[in-house]
Amino acid sequence: MPEDYLGPRLEALRKNQNPDGGWAYFPGKRSWLEPTAYALLALHSEADSPAWQNGWRLLRSWQREDGAWQPNGHIPEAHWSTALAITLHCVHRVHDDAFRKGVSWLLASSGAESRLFVRLLSMVGVKTTGHDPSFRGWPWRPEATAWIEPTAHTLVALKRAAPLVKDSELTRRIVLGEGMILRRRCSDGGWNYGSKAALGIDLPSYPETTALALLGLQGNREADLTSALQHAVHLWQDSRSRWARAWLAISLRAFGTDLPTESPEQPVARDLILNALEVLAAPDGGFRHFRPEGILS
Amino acid sequence: MKPSLLRRALVSAMAGGLASCQRNQPASFAGTSPVAVLRAKNYQQDLTATILEGIRLCGLVVKDKRVLLKPNLVEFDASTAINTDVGLVAAALEAFRSLGAASVVIAEGPGHRRDTLGLADEAGYWKGIRDFEGHFVDLNRDDVSPVKNFLTESQFFLPNTALGADLIVSMPKMKTHHWAGATLAMKNFFGLVPGAVYGWPKNTLHYLGIENSIVALNRQFRRTFAIVDGIVGMEGNGPIQGTAKDVGLLVFGQDLVAVDSTCCRIMGIDPAKVGYLQQAMDLGAVDSQQIHQRGENPIVVRNDFALIPEFASFRLNPGEKRG
Repeated sequence: MPEDYLGPRLEALRKNQNPDGGWAYFPGKRSWLEPTAYALLALHSEADSPAWQNGWRLLRSWQREDGAWQPNGHIPEAHWSTALAITLHCVHRVHDDAFRKGVSWLLASSGAESRLFVRLLSMVGVKTTGHDPSFRGWPWRPEATAWIEPTAHTLVALKRAAPLVKDSELTRRIVLGEGMILRRRCSDGGWNYGSKAALGIDLPSYPETTALALLGLQGNREADLTSALQHAVHLWQDSRSRWARAWLAISLRAFGTDLPTESPEQPVARDLILNALEVLAAPDGGFRHFRPEGILS
Repeated sequence: MKPSLLRRALVSAMAGGLASCQRNQPASFAGTSPVAVLRAKNYQQDLTATILEGIRLCGLVVKDKRVLLKPNLVEFDASTAINTDVGLVAAALEAFRSLGAASVVIAEGPGHRRDTLGLADEAGYWKGIRDFEGHFVDLNRDDVSPVKNFLTESQFFLPNTALGADLIVSMPKMKTHHWAGATLAMKNFFGLVPGAVYGWPKNTLHYLGIENSIVALNRQFRRTFAIVDGIVGMEGNGPIQGTAKDVGLLVFGQDLVAVDSTCCRIMGIDPAKVGYLQQAMDLGAVDSQQIHQRGENPIVVRNDFALIPEFASFRLNPGEKRG
């Protein structure tokens, strides 16, 4: 990847780090966990720098007593982005008590449709959603239903954590989470945000969710993902959304697909997550941070 | 009971049941509200003039106000009419500026798509609005502040851009909705809820109850105006999979309950049967006797929208078409 593509993006991330060490979604705003995690992943080659360490300390300070991470310093609620914090811990090779508590919280969390009451209803033939509640995924926020994106992010985190956490529940939840994603695959071969159909009508897949679903399914030896990967390549070719193209490039490269590089003339985005994702999507870049090496090897 | 209705009933009982139990039957709204219905044949005509006329007919004062234009960006499908048309949003930007607003921003937090700016691009906003990014706030990823006691939530986080606005202009598409019956100016406030906190598709609101959440958001944001894009609406299985419907109207008003009730009458839907309007009877006018209709008469311009079977009973008495 030419330096004139990566360089300005990395510089924009460095320049827009907040004084507290974190990153906002957009310059001049408050720090949030999600952009901070992606920025720290994108800048991980500079992990020894004081700036990176400031971001790392801030992110670590947002962990709650119950092990979950909150979305920023002002919202004292457990949040799906705990999965990103765990992935970052794996990349940074920090496997301490905070890490283990975070993994435990993820293992104890699942979509509201998987509650005992709903599963009992399902067992007697009453379906409250169109989904099989035994395949437990993860929600954006506790008390809500499971969705493709948080489930995919959590699968990436748990698969990265798997070699370090000897817990049969972790293996079980990976199988169930993969099952949830595979059962919600759209008829066109990719993934929508949550369901494959609404009111009996097929829903289309979207590029970013297809990319994330594939990332979550890395290492699955039972499903044939060939057509899904082909669909993802078509989405990458057709999509004008830079966000979607970045996620698709991360995912496809994680699966070993060779893609042309993006044009260096593409301007640097104001959207700081997009900046970080475009760095991570580079051919020699951090897309490997999303590869569960322990499971793939 | 049909399986889908049974499913809805169960989901509602489990998810929104607590909130439903806690709500009180609202007292009826005592005042009267002006609502203007103006013809607009297409998006190529001078919509700025039509918007200025709608604002004038409703007596809205804009000068020195910080205005937030809230279009409805959902998905993009070139073959149908899902999103508020860019031509209307561009015209509103021009109209509110010309009336001396202190500032005008366009802000939206789409319910499904994470790539808000990409979605806005697909919907033509980048091309159709000069310096779009400079005017736009992604409400899904704005900074937020808590408000107290939002339904069963002791605190609920909302975007600072919306909380700080002097006037929120709801600019929905006139559409049917497969859960709520219709999605109009009030339901459009779902886009004020930040995805960065509550996820996509604002699943928390479904658990709090869709109707409860629509009303709670409208209790929170009271300095409002509506410009409903009924030039081309959506009928049938809305708000995403329905079909385009030519109506040729724009609907304006400060009382969003009265605006939505008027839109329902135009769409051939009985507003008294729409759950969220029933819950909002203390917030604004549902009864046509309390709505001062200006411009076109909604009875005369009534243009029935196709309804999915679950909402067939919502059809307004055909006799009302004749007035």
